[in-house]
Amino acid sequence: MTLSIENVSAGYGRNPVISGIDLQVASGRVCALMGRNGSGKTTLLRCINGVLPLLEGRIQVMGREIQTLGREKIARMISVVPQVSFSPFSFSCVDMVLMAGASRIKAWSAPSVKEKQKALEVMAETGIVHMAQRAFNSISGGERQLVMLARGLFQDTPVMLLDEPTSHLDFANQHKIMALMRTLAGKRGMTVVITLHDPNLTHYYCDDVILIHEGGVAARGETLATLTDDILSKVLGDNIQCDVTKKGVFVVIPKQIPQNLNK
Amino acid sequence: MNKNLIIPCLFFPVILFICLCLGRYPIYSGHVAGLVLSSLGIKSQLFDAPQDMMMIFWNIRVPRVILSILIGAGISTAGAVFQALFRNPLAAPDILGVTAGSGFGAALAIMFLTPAAFVIQANAFVFGTMAVTLAYILASMSRDSSPSVLVISGIVISAIFQAGLSFIMYMANPYDQLAQIVFWTMGSFNTASWIKVQGTAPVLLPGILLMVVFSWRLNIMTQGEEDAMSMGIHVKRWRIFYVLVSTLMVACSVAAVGNVAWIGLIVPHIARFLAGSEHRRLIPMTAVLGGLFLMIMDSVARSVMLSEIPISIVTSIFGAPFLGYLVVTAGKTRGAA
Repeated sequence: MTLSIENVSAGYGRNPVISGIDLQVASGRVCALMGRNGSGKTTLLRCINGVLPLLEGRIQVMGREIQTLGREKIARMISVVPQVSFSPFSFSCVDMVLMAGASRIKAWSAPSVKEKQKALEVMAETGIVHMAQRAFNSISGGERQLVMLARGLFQDTPVMLLDEPTSHLDFANQHKIMALMRTLAGKRGMTVVITLHDPNLTHYYCDDVILIHEGGVAARGETLATLTDDILSKVLGDNIQCDVTKKGVFVVIPKQIPQNLNK
Repeated sequence: MNKNLIIPCLFFPVILFICLCLGRYPIYSGHVAGLVLSSLGIKSQLFDAPQDMMMIFWNIRVPRVILSILIGAGISTAGAVFQALFRNPLAAPDILGVTAGSGFGAALAIMFLTPAAFVIQANAFVFGTMAVTLAYILASMSRDSSPSVLVISGIVISAIFQAGLSFIMYMANPYDQLAQIVFWTMGSFNTASWIKVQGTAPVLLPGILLMVVFSWRLNIMTQGEEDAMSMGIHVKRWRIFYVLVSTLMVACSVAAVGNVAWIGLIVPHIARFLAGSEHRRLIPMTAVLGGLFLMIMDSVARSVMLSEIPISIVTSIFGAPFLGYLVVTAGKTRGAA
């Protein structure tokens, strides 16, 4: 197992947000973490990345206990693609990507020409090499998220965590980023844990799913077998159902939309 | 090699030469050339300078210009570092209370100890660094480790030392002590000497060099605590390193010449305008421009009026409108990073 979580409780202050979490993610799998707002998905992601101390339990990545490792060693094993945001200073896109090489170089040095070349190659794979010299803050939200994905890939780690990478993106960009993540992580054999709100994206792009409800694991397993009406209703609320369109595409949609909307 | 640096580096010797000529005692350009040549052992009848001019040039003018370059570069570099650490382009190097602490320390020395320059300088340095240490201790008591807590702690500590400074000023004898304290708080290079250069260079030169060497990591420090941690940076340790070096540079500068307003805020902005935000390019540019800027400002301070104008007045008059100009034009011209 690449990622193994045993009886983990964690939170802010003394109150645990998640408790008694037990789960494993196998090597090379793309695993979605789903749950309602405030259910503890991001908290769990922060624990895996070692930025939030555990109240109890332990987390192992590649057989090594994360809480005992320094930041540099963690950064060589885990990369993080955060939710897209502005940078307080206007760096170029390639400079943003290059930052993820910090754990590979000496504290006093800057990225070498070889590293820059590698960064441009990763940017070419994500389709953003043409904006390498453009200011990160001047490009669109979707493009910024691609830069963040390129940064995660450039970090070149066996595990990648993505925190709601689609949350501010339009429909087309949501699928673009998920497909790219799936393809490029697959090519590198990366293990991916990704928090998502949309069960459709989970269904199309993720191998496994873990559903978090009220700080605990409500269900987990392969996506196809796990995303059922019962489980989705239990975790995401009553108004949800799985269906198949006329074209044979699996979709998760609301059970009902109120009739009195005066449309 | 940083290509953007070539232009300011070309201007540097020209402006240095002009600044060496400027002052209440006129030293003409021919004399400056002669004085420099004679110090290199090349005697020239053409540029022969009188003895008193030689004395003024080597003992007053040259150390003063060197001190202004060093301090300009030091405070500006510290400003750029603080802006990166606090993820805020409006952060100034005195945000953690170093200037307020130094001012209090200097006033304390003027009021209760001896008005000797060395005692004032030492006391200002000790209190400046003490203020930042106290701000750090106060911030470390909070569960929140974000830089904003450190900024609030800095505001609290600054306010306390500012109140202390005001109290001393209120109590001071208005005929000599008060004037001395007020003049000190506005800063001036009129007491510049080789001793002050020797006192500040061992802190400022290694400090600037360290910040240039470790400049690339500042890019990551601007990315927020968790992002930086995810990329392998131990944020708390590195923040202490950068704050420590910057604070020592600012405390040492302020202790030597008093408060120099605006420069730590404005020079990094001008540098960013010319070299972009990437800190490997920005920090050397900031250091060079800071030296250049303060050298010019001090030349203005000592030559436009019959008496010396405090340096903070000059830096504010020139600095603030220039920052306003940059704010207005930045959006129009800065298309790329």
